[in-house]
Amino acid sequence: MSKVDVVVVGAGHAGCEAAASAARMGASVALVTLDRRTVALMPCNPAIGGIGKGHLVAEIDALGGLQGWAADRAGIQFKILNRSRGPAVWGPRAQCDKAVYQRSIRRVVERLRGVTLIEAEVEGLVIEAGRARGVIFAGGVRLGAGAVVLTTGTFLGGLLHTGENQRPGGRLDEQPSTALGQALAAAGLELRRFKTGTPPRLDRTSIDFNRLEEQAGDLAPRPFSWRTRAVRNQCVCWVTRTPPSVQALINDNRHRSPLLSGAIEGIGPRYCPSIEDKVVRFPHHEQHTVFLEPEGLASDSIYVNGLSTSLPADVQEAVVHMVPGLERATFLRHGYAVEYDVVAPLQVGRNLECSLVPGLFLAGQLLGTSGYEEAAGLGLLAGINATGALRGEAPFIPAREDAYLGVLVDDVCGRDHREPYRMFTSRAEHRLVLGVDTARERLMDHGRRLGLVREAAFHVEHERWCRRRGAREALEAGRLTPTVATRKEVFEKAGIELSAPTTWATILRRQDVDAESVAASIENLSDLDAEDRRIVIGSLRYDGYLARQERERERLHRLRHISIPVDFDASTVSGLSREVVEALGRDRPRTLADAERVPGMTPAAMAILAGRLGRRGRAG
Amino acid sequence: MVKASSSGLSSDLAGGADTIVARATPPGRGALALIRVSGPRAAACAAQVCPDLSFDIGWRATLTKLRDAGGEPLERAVATAFPGPRSYTGEDMLEVTIHGSPFLVEAVIESFVAAGARPAEAGEFTRRAVANGKLDLVQAEAIRDLVAADTAWQHRNARQQLAGALSAQFERLRAALVTLLAAIEGSLDYEAQGVAVPAGERKARLEECRSQLTALLATAGAGERLREGLRLVILGPPNAGKSTLFNYLCGAERAIVSSHPGTTRDLVEAELNVGGVPIVVQDTAGLRTEGNEIEREAHRRAQAAAAQADLAVVLWAGDAGEETAAPEVPEGLPAIRVRSKTDLVPASIVADGWLGISCHSGEGLEEFRCELLRLVLGEVPDLGGAVAIAARHRRALEVAAAELESCNVESPDTAAENVRWALRAVDELIGEVVTDDVLDEIYSSFCIGK
Repeated sequence: MSKVDVVVVGAGHAGCEAAASAARMGASVALVTLDRRTVALMPCNPAIGGIGKGHLVAEIDALGGLQGWAADRAGIQFKILNRSRGPAVWGPRAQCDKAVYQRSIRRVVERLRGVTLIEAEVEGLVIEAGRARGVIFAGGVRLGAGAVVLTTGTFLGGLLHTGENQRPGGRLDEQPSTALGQALAAAGLELRRFKTGTPPRLDRTSIDFNRLEEQAGDLAPRPFSWRTRAVRNQCVCWVTRTPPSVQALINDNRHRSPLLSGAIEGIGPRYCPSIEDKVVRFPHHEQHTVFLEPEGLASDSIYVNGLSTSLPADVQEAVVHMVPGLERATFLRHGYAVEYDVVAPLQVGRNLECSLVPGLFLAGQLLGTSGYEEAAGLGLLAGINATGALRGEAPFIPAREDAYLGVLVDDVCGRDHREPYRMFTSRAEHRLVLGVDTARERLMDHGRRLGLVREAAFHVEHERWCRRRGAREALEAGRLTPTVATRKEVFEKAGIELSAPTTWATILRRQDVDAESVAASIENLSDLDAEDRRIVIGSLRYDGYLARQERERERLHRLRHISIPVDFDASTVSGLSREVVEALGRDRPRTLADAERVPGMTPAAMAILAGRLGRRGRAG
Repeated sequence: MVKASSSGLSSDLAGGADTIVARATPPGRGALALIRVSGPRAAACAAQVCPDLSFDIGWRATLTKLRDAGGEPLERAVATAFPGPRSYTGEDMLEVTIHGSPFLVEAVIESFVAAGARPAEAGEFTRRAVANGKLDLVQAEAIRDLVAADTAWQHRNARQQLAGALSAQFERLRAALVTLLAAIEGSLDYEAQGVAVPAGERKARLEECRSQLTALLATAGAGERLREGLRLVILGPPNAGKSTLFNYLCGAERAIVSSHPGTTRDLVEAELNVGGVPIVVQDTAGLRTEGNEIEREAHRRAQAAAAQADLAVVLWAGDAGEETAAPEVPEGLPAIRVRSKTDLVPASIVADGWLGISCHSGEGLEEFRCELLRLVLGEVPDLGGAVAIAARHRRALEVAAAELESCNVESPDTAAENVRWALRAVDELIGEVVTDDVLDEIYSSFCIGK
């Protein structure tokens, strides 16, 4: 039996990041895919990033991941969402040329030293003495490995639905994996059924764009990655709306919808409902927005964002033809829903390793997430921790208060989520300190330590944030007293009459001052580049809030240091409600900080637990 | 002698939370005493201490025999079983009523301890009721208030609070905050999906939260007066007879009375019940600024007491010469103006707006009582059915109010932060928020997804 350090099964967004991070850390990696042509495929929407998701991409990038870098290469329209809100919630997003995206990533994983791409189907796991020790290919050949990372997406027990039609499949025209799912069940893992869906694709040449509203990218497009110098916009998207008549049409065909008739049992994401779902749940909305997004510069395929559906083909066509601009549209592909098996949460530790089968790491949709960015983030962490485990290193588990990646692993592994998990900024309690702008400052040092980011690149970035901190301190420290000279200077630069001593920081915080343009003329800021200047100004906006979040982070760090013993039996603690005892037994939090997030936890119960565990800690 | 362990939180018995026992009636000798047992071993305790009782037949008072640890008969008692969860604590409970001899109470408790219970800590039964969801924290406080109620006013407020009127208001405020947060988060996370929450709507929801907070906080003053009593201060120049009046009100020689001016230096307090309203009466030192250091300090304290008082009685001795000016009534403080010692001077000296009394002859005292009752009842706030909040509630609500004060819905990123902290403050009162609540709220109220 040949042997590698890490075998990664599935070469989607999670699998590619896992293979790349493991290889960069020095592991020998086998990346197994059913079909070389589907490596890093974007099977649904042609975009990377967004609000919450763009935050994940920035953090993946700071840890040396592939996604942001590839999206910069493949991006054909760049836009920062939430631009009018504060910088912490800005969400960079890029419409991507799917073919270029795939090609970019495939080239990296093919050429990365230590990675071997294998085209094969994995049917089982080699388990020795309870540990995962490799995989078994179809035909019985075995490949030994120190650790196994499974990133099989929607392929386990995949079942596709279009109207009354059902056929097994992981994606359209791709066979599902049935044997591997059975192997997981045999290993004792509890599986759960989720559902997701995708809209139709239309032929660009059959759409009447003249009557549609155009959506362009930002005038100054910004790349995701620190490795990219510049990006540019090369296309537009279009917006249209479903007319009220769509509602009646769908209602007439309800019985033919697998989603509404009950043929689909899996739980779908509430935030990404199909058009039939929207019509039924929101009957008072007469119109639903539809975005038309190109899938590539060389492709005629148009993604119909907003019309995800599993209605029968003839109904899909009738619905689409009612939409302004799409009256004569021809279908390249119909929408469909897919039901698939996921490993039920709470069976995987925050290092992404199965508690039942040590050495087996999971990531991506198999863990119940949805979205390319969530998958890539978990894949990256799985690759890091699988490699680290081989070397006996402590796992890398970012904390909730330090990164969206921390929120992601904590929510996905630590809570019993019952629908496909998608990142939102509202999931991050420490949102204001977790902006895209601060991702490198927060995480790049970890990337360097783990061997994912080169020293030289780290030092370039490190100098940048040192400069920003220096500028920030200078703005706070430099006092402006109303002398003739300073009054004149302040008036000329900011247009305000200086009447009492103040600082530039205070002036830049004022609502009536255009901070960006004023900052360009201030001594301490003018030698920063526009990007750094903007970040410094942005941080001024959050002043009081940041101090408070800092205190909260310290509190959580303290709670994180009080660990809950594995054999802790909450039912022996008097004063806890039955509900809390049950939740603690189910979720098995490892520290007091985790316990605080157990559903049903109350401040009173926290106080009791803290008292009990604190005492125990002192006694022991 | 059985002693309570220093902390019940640390004591555990194998197989679950422990079982507690305590006397529910006050200590000392009485006709009857009630002993309560609660916890998973309550039925086992019953089987050992009162073997004739059938625990499964609950909620029925039964005459039965109690036995000590050795099985010797101790007492004939009325016992009632309350199988959980239909009990005060939500656990299995047993109540036995015995003769109120301290020895017997001790012996019966020891029998239960021998059967596997441990002595309860103060408030532990109610704490368990809260832990098991039989009462919320605010209702538990009402239980405490109800037990402590000395007057009809306090009793009525505590009863309404126990019935859940205040909890319902807090829940309503929390729901309004969650809705507000959902509107703000909705405008942050879903821009790409074409979901827009109009700024006007966010503002309206913020105003709704603010007005609920204002209404709740408006009862705070009443709540403090209710729980602590209206503060009535007796003011006046030295030797005006303030302590004599104080003693008359208390019906006892509480303050030292002498004919020497400046006898009272400390503040002396007593609690009264005037027409169902709790009153704290304060006797003060005379209002004069000269004198030695101690007297000046006493004077300063009298003024501070006046500043905090809800009502005042201002005394002016009838035998004080015409040349002394009438003592001033602190501005804005409702007061009864009294000329004392009318037994020493002709009644004609009592001017308009002053009430002449003599604590020695009893003259004018009946009118004084009527006047006091009228004044007190006039100061009782009309809550219109609302429940007055307590100091703990006020502190949490003030935190929430301060957060909403600095909440600017035009900047949703920071506004969300303020609302999250406001929610946390309200949660300290009643429960807990997880982001899922907000997401659920978002999903149920907006159409999301492109």
